[in-house]
Amino acid sequence: MAKKKNSKPLIKPGMSPSEIVKILRNLDGVMITCTGMRDAGQSDYKNRHRIYDLATLAPYYEDMNLFSSECHGGARWHVGVMNRRESPFKEIEILRELMPSVQLQTLIRETNLWGYRPYPRNVIEYVVERVDIDVWRCFSFLNDIRNMRTVAEVVMKRGRLFQPAISFTQADWTTNEYYLSCVNDIVDLCGGVDEIVLCIKDMAGVGSPKRISSLVDAIKQAYPDLVVQYHRHATDGLALPALLAAAKAGAKVVDAQEDSLTRFYGQPPILAVQAYFEESGIKVNLNREAAEKAVQRVRDWIGHYEWAESPFKGFDHMVTSHKMPGGAFPSSFEQAEKGGFLHLMPSILKVMSLYNKIVKYFDVTPGSQITWVTCSGIVNRYAKEHGETGVQHIIRILSKFVEEKGQDMSKMTKAEQKELLGLFSTAPGDFKNLLLGGYGRLPMGWPDEWVYKSAFGDEWKEKLKERKDLSPLDSLEEDDLERIRKELAEHLGRIPTDEEFVLYLMHPKDALQMFDFVEKYGEAPLVLPTNVWREGLKRPGDKVEFDLLGKPYCIELVSVGKEHEGQIHVVMRVNNKTRVYEIDTPRAKKVEIRMAKAPNEIGAPISGNVWRIGNPRRGTIKVGDIVHKGEEIANLEAMKMENPVLAPFDAQIQEICVKLNDSVQENQLLFVLKEQ
Amino acid sequence: MKRQDNKPQKIKKVLIANRGVPAVRIIHTCRDRMIPTTAVYSTPDRLALHALMADSAVHIGDAPPSESYLNAEKIIGAALKSEANAIHPGWGFLAENADFARMVIDSGLIWIGPEPEVIAAMGDKIRAKKLAIKANVPTIPGISDVSDVKQIKQWMKEDEVTYPIMIKAAAGGGGKGMVKVESDKQLKTAFSQAKSEAFKAFGDDKLLAEKYIERGRHIEVQVVADQHGNVFHLYERECTLQRRNQKIIEEAPSPTINDDLRNEICFTAVRLMREIGYTTAGTVEFIFDSNTRRFYFLEVNTRLQVEHGVTELITGKDIVGLMLDAAEGREFQFRQEEIRPNRWALECRINAEDPRTFSPSFGTITRLKAPLGPGVRVAMGAYEGADIPPYYDSLFMLIMTAGPARDDAIRVMDRTLSRNLRVEGVKTLAPLLLSIIRHKAFKSGEFSTKFIEDHMDELVSMFREHDSEDEALKIADYVARISALGPQDWM
Repeated sequence: MAKKKNSKPLIKPGMSPSEIVKILRNLDGVMITCTGMRDAGQSDYKNRHRIYDLATLAPYYEDMNLFSSECHGGARWHVGVMNRRESPFKEIEILRELMPSVQLQTLIRETNLWGYRPYPRNVIEYVVERVDIDVWRCFSFLNDIRNMRTVAEVVMKRGRLFQPAISFTQADWTTNEYYLSCVNDIVDLCGGVDEIVLCIKDMAGVGSPKRISSLVDAIKQAYPDLVVQYHRHATDGLALPALLAAAKAGAKVVDAQEDSLTRFYGQPPILAVQAYFEESGIKVNLNREAAEKAVQRVRDWIGHYEWAESPFKGFDHMVTSHKMPGGAFPSSFEQAEKGGFLHLMPSILKVMSLYNKIVKYFDVTPGSQITWVTCSGIVNRYAKEHGETGVQHIIRILSKFVEEKGQDMSKMTKAEQKELLGLFSTAPGDFKNLLLGGYGRLPMGWPDEWVYKSAFGDEWKEKLKERKDLSPLDSLEEDDLERIRKELAEHLGRIPTDEEFVLYLMHPKDALQMFDFVEKYGEAPLVLPTNVWREGLKRPGDKVEFDLLGKPYCIELVSVGKEHEGQIHVVMRVNNKTRVYEIDTPRAKKVEIRMAKAPNEIGAPISGNVWRIGNPRRGTIKVGDIVHKGEEIANLEAMKMENPVLAPFDAQIQEICVKLNDSVQENQLLFVLKEQ
Repeated sequence: MKRQDNKPQKIKKVLIANRGVPAVRIIHTCRDRMIPTTAVYSTPDRLALHALMADSAVHIGDAPPSESYLNAEKIIGAALKSEANAIHPGWGFLAENADFARMVIDSGLIWIGPEPEVIAAMGDKIRAKKLAIKANVPTIPGISDVSDVKQIKQWMKEDEVTYPIMIKAAAGGGGKGMVKVESDKQLKTAFSQAKSEAFKAFGDDKLLAEKYIERGRHIEVQVVADQHGNVFHLYERECTLQRRNQKIIEEAPSPTINDDLRNEICFTAVRLMREIGYTTAGTVEFIFDSNTRRFYFLEVNTRLQVEHGVTELITGKDIVGLMLDAAEGREFQFRQEEIRPNRWALECRINAEDPRTFSPSFGTITRLKAPLGPGVRVAMGAYEGADIPPYYDSLFMLIMTAGPARDDAIRVMDRTLSRNLRVEGVKTLAPLLLSIIRHKAFKSGEFSTKFIEDHMDELVSMFREHDSEDEALKIADYVARISALGPQDWM
């Protein structure tokens, strides 16, 4: 039954992991991890839900008596930096303030953290220490538990809850025995079962109720004290019964999201879960009244995100064969749409279902990306070279090889063998790195030799010798953090904060773009409502009001002019003062000014006028002249002060990029030198 | 030197041979006295504040100063054409050009400034120093008429002078053509740089060399003199805070000296000015060695100075008005004993410059909100929507504050810079100025001419990161952009 509002939450931040585990073990019924702030958005809205809107749910979460709010990590981090221009650190700060009694949960990809490459140990330690998260769900797309070691150590040392996840799929090789061996490794790694919650991560939504019941049961038989959480996507349409089956078999926490957020690929609807469980005799520790309000609140803003929804709508029981995870669905379809090959999706999904019987791992980041890029690449290549017939042809050969001939190459014709040996010739580097052990051990061992021949051609034998069986934690060399920090400082022109440094470590290029954006547009991503953020103000008189640093502001549109020579004039009233903005359109003509970038490129020390090239002693300098370190090679004048430009080393003048009496800006390229 | 003609002449209309802050300042006093004014302007200054404020305005040429504000013939022609019978040169440009002063007088116009001969004598630093010695004013060890590096080395050896030394343009002023030399190694480059700058700035590459007073303080005395032998001082100003040898914060009185020293330095200045037959407003600059507590003559500025306003604030005198009186041949109607400063005043120069690098920041001032409130005086040289052209000085506004004591003046300046001033479109020194007046060394009065270079990193680190109005404008920028262009690809 619904609990009274403002009742004390059972679990809250600051509790020790063993305390939490104890509460869950003795719990009557289940608790819920609400994924409304992360996975719901990732699965059906390309992670575009802005903290501006999500924060409106926080006050209800505060009262909902949740196990946790999954609000962080996965691809939300990267999309935040790249598309929403929100710092994941700022999000935590905002949510902590609005829902101090709710545990914040992240999703982290063992050595890949929130990026897309394996990081060395020192980077993992540095990053994990600096992120204020209570529950750390950590998974490996290879179920290579060794890769979790560093994250586990840092999280457990900080006294936060480590939640190791086993990546689940339904296939002939993913037996209970297989999963129990993974759980054994986890229990060994974490020193027992008293300080962890184990997660079964059914990221594609493929576990049938019976299968999940059997798995949870097997784990509980082996480890009666181990607390199990079931995370499942709804893709196959069977989420509710599967969730109930897990709970009946002993799972103590299940993942759900606001009913109003639910589409097809995220978690099951929270109110429905509560009602269905209660009817089946399982108590749900949830303040339903608060949850209803959250569900209702979503409707206020969810309409702003229609553009972000997947074009591939509806449940898809075929997921049980292609296994594309809920989180990867919208982004894959988005790429197919952008790339103009949406019509090939059925073929790509078919190739994926065959591919993952050849190279066995779990389709979840970064594995799902490797699968996607590899398989969509194969299909696109055939479509380009031989059209639709070509695509059907390769699907036929693959089906025959996998489904009829038991992957026995000798049973294929010579022509078919040749075709298969060409299959991975243009596969992405990440696929090749995977084959060579760059991510860790594959769960069912390495693929057959022909895969290596196909991927590496004549070099395959040498490559095979390079293959590693070690975890990347043991094989990767440490990064030079101080050097990387300096590199960032040079980009920024100041000392970066720790948070900026972490963002840069994860996604260097995108982080720099975000820092530029923030420098220019400040808090716009945090204070603007979503319609204004995405489309601006539409009609004269439309306004947006917000508070900033404790003061009220109002921006009102007066008019948007017509484009003229690549410029549009926008007139707005900012706190009643009229301002005119000149907006360059993408078509604006740009006068290219070259800036000095490399050490051998000499830039103007200040903005000014080049009144002398050369120096009085030797006269004008020309291309080809040799200049000496410290010699004056030009002189700029600005506001009546002279500013000599000196040669930084002995050099030959390769190019003089300005003319006498040119007006130059600071750091504009003056000379290109060749060191002598 | 004697005034050739003591006959009172009535000023009917004043042409101001200047632009920006000085031109506007002079127009104000003329307006007080109902004297009409003529502004002159170069092509880019067609819509500049001074041109709009004056009663008439005459175009005198294109942007380069040599074709406009430094072009004596055109300026005199403009005066005659607009029926002005007097010329005030302001500061900078032709203000200390004796030939121009002579031309003005020879054209039958009233020159609102000292005698051309006095300008010439004081403009030549070597002659000025000789005159100072003659008037028994202490001077810095040095040599004049330096023609090569060898000569400097010779002098240093004979007079036992050690580095650092300063090489300066003999014709100089305003920090241009001055190069500090720390060692033998730098001497050669410094010498040629000073020579070239001197030629560029003053059309004269004569140099002199002097001992450099390490961590010296810059104190100057404001003097006013009429044509009747009255030479008064209006007390001193402290102008120690400089960047690249140009002052950016000035105050009166000086926090460095006590009353005994104050009297000594002020009367030394009066003695010198009397000796050289000075008339109108002028300034005697000294360098003060904090270690030995001795002061040395530096130069005489034969013109109105940028920082004259702080003296006006503490004495209540209108210095431009006194210049008009002197030029008309009137006798000052007050005595030295009646000058009793009873305020502390501070001035900050708002230059259009990057506060981190000092590189000039020209362009259009898109927003300008002048600071108002108790204890504030603002001298504007531009208005919102006006351009700061790249051809001239970067100063476009002065902010002065006053209070009963130094702390009060600093407090008012803090309020003014941190809350009430807004400039958009160009960068200004304001963040640096605010950091300086908040620095404990400034507050305690313990600083030297090297203060800014020594503390630059610390001062920059004190720049305020967040100003809610700036932040709101960034957001408005974004809204304008998206309103014009619609959803972006990167979203």
